[in-house]
Amino acid sequence: MQPGRNKPCTYISLMENNLLSLIIFAPLAGAAINWFVGRRLRNEHFIGIVACSSVGVSTLIAFYLALKPGGALHLGEPGVTTPVFDHLWTWIQVGQFRADFGLAMDRLSGTYALFVTFIGFLIHVFAVGYMHKDSGFYRFFAYLNLFMFAMLTLVLADNFLLMFVGWEGVGLCSYLLIGYYTDRQEAGDAAKKAFITNRVGDWGFVMGLMLIFAITAGLGNGTISFFDHPGTGVASVFNVVKDLPIDAFTWKAIFAGGLTSVAVLLFIGAAGKSAQIPLYVWLPDAMAGPTPVSALIHAATMVTAGVYMIVRCSEIYVHAPTAMFIVAIIGAATALFAATIGIAQNDIKKVLAYSTVSQLGYMFLACGLGAFGAAIFHVITHAFFKALLFLGSGSVIHGMHHEQDMRRMGGLRKYMPITFATMLTGWLAISGIPIFAGFFSKDEILWKAWSAGTFNLPSPAWSKALWFIGALTALLTAVYMTRMMVMTFWGAERFREGHADHDDHTDESHATHEDGHGAIHGVHEPHESPLTMTVPLVVLAVLSTFGGLIGVPYALGSYFSDHPTNYIEQTLGPVISETPSSGHSAAGKPHAEQFEWLSPKPQVTDSAPPVHSLDESAVGTTGHPHSPEEVRAERLLALLSVLIAALGIGVGWVVFRKRPLLQMPRLLENKYYVDEIYNKTIINPITAGSREGLWKLFDIGVIDGFLHAIGDVVTETGGVLRRLQAGFVRGYAAIILLGALAVIGFFAYSAFRG
Amino acid sequence: MQHHLLTIIILLPVAGALATVAYSLLPSKRESNYKWIALGFSLVDFALSLFLIRGAQTGSGGFRFVEDVLWIGSIGAHYHVGVDGISLWLVILTTLLMPIAIVSSWTAIHKRQLAYYVFLGLLAGAMIGVFVSLDLLLFYLFFEASLVPMFFLIGIWGGERRIYAAVKFFIYTAVGSLLMLVAIIALFYIYGTFDYTTILAAMTSGGPALSAQTQFWLFLAFAFAFCIKIPLFPLHTWLPDAHTEAPTAGSVILAGVLLKMGTYGLLRFNLGLFPEMAREFAPVMITLAVIGIIYGALVAMVQPDVKRLVAYSSVSHMGFVVLGLFSFTEMGIQGALYQMLAHGVSTGALFLFVGFIYERRHTRMISEFGGLSTPMPWFSTLFVIASLSSIGLPFLNGFVGEFLIMLGSWTSGAIQYPRAATMLAGTGVIWAAVYMLWMLQRVVFGKVTNPENANLPDLNAREIGLIIPLLALMVFMGVYPRVFLDRSRASVEEIRTRVAQPPAGGSFADARRSADGLTAEDAKHAK
Repeated sequence: MQPGRNKPCTYISLMENNLLSLIIFAPLAGAAINWFVGRRLRNEHFIGIVACSSVGVSTLIAFYLALKPGGALHLGEPGVTTPVFDHLWTWIQVGQFRADFGLAMDRLSGTYALFVTFIGFLIHVFAVGYMHKDSGFYRFFAYLNLFMFAMLTLVLADNFLLMFVGWEGVGLCSYLLIGYYTDRQEAGDAAKKAFITNRVGDWGFVMGLMLIFAITAGLGNGTISFFDHPGTGVASVFNVVKDLPIDAFTWKAIFAGGLTSVAVLLFIGAAGKSAQIPLYVWLPDAMAGPTPVSALIHAATMVTAGVYMIVRCSEIYVHAPTAMFIVAIIGAATALFAATIGIAQNDIKKVLAYSTVSQLGYMFLACGLGAFGAAIFHVITHAFFKALLFLGSGSVIHGMHHEQDMRRMGGLRKYMPITFATMLTGWLAISGIPIFAGFFSKDEILWKAWSAGTFNLPSPAWSKALWFIGALTALLTAVYMTRMMVMTFWGAERFREGHADHDDHTDESHATHEDGHGAIHGVHEPHESPLTMTVPLVVLAVLSTFGGLIGVPYALGSYFSDHPTNYIEQTLGPVISETPSSGHSAAGKPHAEQFEWLSPKPQVTDSAPPVHSLDESAVGTTGHPHSPEEVRAERLLALLSVLIAALGIGVGWVVFRKRPLLQMPRLLENKYYVDEIYNKTIINPITAGSREGLWKLFDIGVIDGFLHAIGDVVTETGGVLRRLQAGFVRGYAAIILLGALAVIGFFAYSAFRG
Repeated sequence: MQHHLLTIIILLPVAGALATVAYSLLPSKRESNYKWIALGFSLVDFALSLFLIRGAQTGSGGFRFVEDVLWIGSIGAHYHVGVDGISLWLVILTTLLMPIAIVSSWTAIHKRQLAYYVFLGLLAGAMIGVFVSLDLLLFYLFFEASLVPMFFLIGIWGGERRIYAAVKFFIYTAVGSLLMLVAIIALFYIYGTFDYTTILAAMTSGGPALSAQTQFWLFLAFAFAFCIKIPLFPLHTWLPDAHTEAPTAGSVILAGVLLKMGTYGLLRFNLGLFPEMAREFAPVMITLAVIGIIYGALVAMVQPDVKRLVAYSSVSHMGFVVLGLFSFTEMGIQGALYQMLAHGVSTGALFLFVGFIYERRHTRMISEFGGLSTPMPWFSTLFVIASLSSIGLPFLNGFVGEFLIMLGSWTSGAIQYPRAATMLAGTGVIWAAVYMLWMLQRVVFGKVTNPENANLPDLNAREIGLIIPLLALMVFMGVYPRVFLDRSRASVEEIRTRVAQPPAGGSFADARRSADGLTAEDAKHAK
């Protein structure tokens, strides 16, 4: 009864099945060892080695299973790929509903597992240096390993409910790690805020899950599985719904209870986890956690889970144009909104946090446009450069003795050359300078926006508007990143100035996190970080520089080669659904001739690779489906992107090089007062209403008041209760005895009569 | 022994109570030994109750370990007990929580120890009796009998306002159960027996048919008694007072077992005996359940007293149980049963934690605490885990039940807007995170602000030993619920098929209409 082991596919051995679960259980074991043993030993070497090696094991296995011949992600044979399964036990089975603890690695989850484990490993190594001499060293790494377990469960889950386990699990670890410095009030507040905001999203996830179960059950095959399991008869959700008609592109569809409703509910979940409007507010506060946590959880992996989930459900989204439209709009709005806030922040981690929110917006924009592959591509490149930037900022903070305010930095490139050089690549990557990783993925998204059809947009003008928002965001991104770099690494060495001059800024971490650096208020020489920290930086810098080459689009690749290979597209193509090409789209989609699907494409299943994926890969490697006009347009647009990036960097340099402390608009510095608005309009009314209205007025006043009124009547007439309240226990006993006697007497009486 | 196993399990705690009394008459008695006697008996009882699982077939419903002897011949009342997949786990939950409750009293109870442990023993016997009685009169007597020891536990060993709380608890529940007694007697006059299985058989196969009006009143009388016990909004106001004033062991048993007597009764009697009326009442019950889920959570959020917070959270969690029961789906009812167990374990644990800090500080006010993770790391870690279970984190026990309940109510045909109801109920899960995490933050995390907390001793071995079995159970129930669900499935299905079965040729709406017609006819007759 174990689907993984009863599959018709023969070349997946039992051994590989078990290896798959080792990917998630190795970090879990690491967490347990550090929690129980590391706590006793208090030996940083032991703890560090356990933590890193457990993630190292996951990394190696993930790479092995994905890349070996016949593996989940085997690049040599495009299209021919078999997901690897590992079914452990049937978790919940009631009625029609069944959820297994089963793992699956297909092309999508394989791609994800690769970068999650690898970047996770690098960040673990970095953290060994960063957390040096921290009193909670063992606790930190136990949580961090636990996070890896949850994140990999999320990624490798073969059904919605197990994905939700990982989904909540990463939320829990995020909660624990944001609140890691337990003695700091704002860390606790931020942790709570993160968990609760995520819970709002989780509500959407669970409701979406139940609706999809209800829909598939209505089609006679209730399931929540992502894959077909012929052995047990469990079907893939996506296969069950793929033949449904596409929902109408109307607002009504949201509430119709069809796939559009599912997609919107799931997007609520994604918006919570991936910090989109209106649920983004927790992410900037989450920076109260240690910096490696910000890099791993709040930039590279967990916050992209929403994107992953939507791409996983691409089959559902391509049935739901309204939902895709909403995703695109929210994504674009978030991207721009967060970028404008990022431009005015003075805390180096806050800049990166808003930048992350903004970049996540890009990814959702891509999802909303149906460019799921581009979204994943941007997830990966973003993981490279944003992890790099966060770790770099961690290195800066470390070297500055836990100073995070950029207004007290400046001129650091002299003191921290490696950190500076590596962050330089991250800066160029996120700004969108060609060759660097961010350029290709961001450009791909902008191109998809520009060329989007009207399948899920009300009119062609929307595509240009979305492109414009994306391009404007790109400009702002280059500006604020330049500002950050300039304030940190160039200019006067402001850290010598003492601390009294910026009294409006409360930098708590600086004041409270004194962990053996002998950090006292006053002047410190910044210093370069140790090797455990700089080596991961260098590796990530290399990835940020060249990592984008895995997804060079045809239009650009064809400059240099006759048969350019877009590895990302080739890998993910078969597992991602495409939006149907729209009849009234003038420009058409770039692959319109290639994908003339009237109904969405079927999913790859484990039983047999569908024919279309073979076709597609054949086209992808040999044919030239790209029309010359399109190639020209895409090249022009790419050139425009480069100009925008250069302009942004130029503006940033000119404005902030001279005046790094330029006062930014208050509205932006105060984040549009969104937190204050939420407090005033939602949180305070609910709290006050619950306390004064529900509890004091209704519960105590109305219900108990009513009962007391009755009680008083009884008391006055009988005087019984008054005597009771004098406190004679024997009195109660007598009354109860009398009562019992009365009952028995009644029965005796009725017995006689009967 | 097979034949008398249930009787032994019921009577063993009572025998323990008697043994304690006998020991107290010895000249060489020592007060500190009472608890050992009570603990010994309760542990044996727990071990014996595990044998009930052995008889449980995963495939079939029906009652096992049945014992049926004539009890009061003149009225045909029987001593008829038996256990099925529904009562099985509730019995074991009871026998599990008893030793834990006894050990939790180890150092907390100083006055009148003899009476205390005697009452605990009597209470255990009565509670187990409630879950296994198959004779309505017997059920009623056990139901009432459980009231008395709890009344004394609160009234004698409780906090400052114990008298008020005990009297409120007593009057509330006694009023409800008196109505149930009337209903039971009415059933006796109609069917000439108190026997549950006989009445059920008569109802399904051509016995005297109940008019809709009769059913209506009978259903209401039973439901009223049980809804007070659960407690369902708006009948819940005895609970915060009773919980807050009860000694720790009392709260553990109250939340862990006594509340379940209400939901068990709804399932066994209201759904089992009056399926048509259950369908009629489903919209009302689900509405109240959903209100209770949200209301309980919101009021829990603003409580200044930890114990009161946990008490109101029970109102919210038990609302889920009622929602699941009245969804009339296998998922909903199985989930409701699972939620009963999960709530018993995790809320029981939460009350233990409150007891731990109360013993140390003699206050339960949230504002008195803060930063306990520094002086009490073990307490804090375990408390956080138990709280997460209460929040419904996946892979802990709370999630499975709540999820199944929501899945059941989502797909339910019992009400007109099942999805809207589920979506509202689902917000309860958000609120749970709000009130628990807010409480944790003010109690466990942050800096130690009150110097009295700075040197609090961490949990000792006895306290950790108390909590560990419950925590292990939370994890086990979260990861491998099949052990429980598989053994309750058949019994749940027996009741569910009756209640979910629409009358011939009709949907629920038709059923409602035809029932309305009947009521109108009855009304004419009455005139």
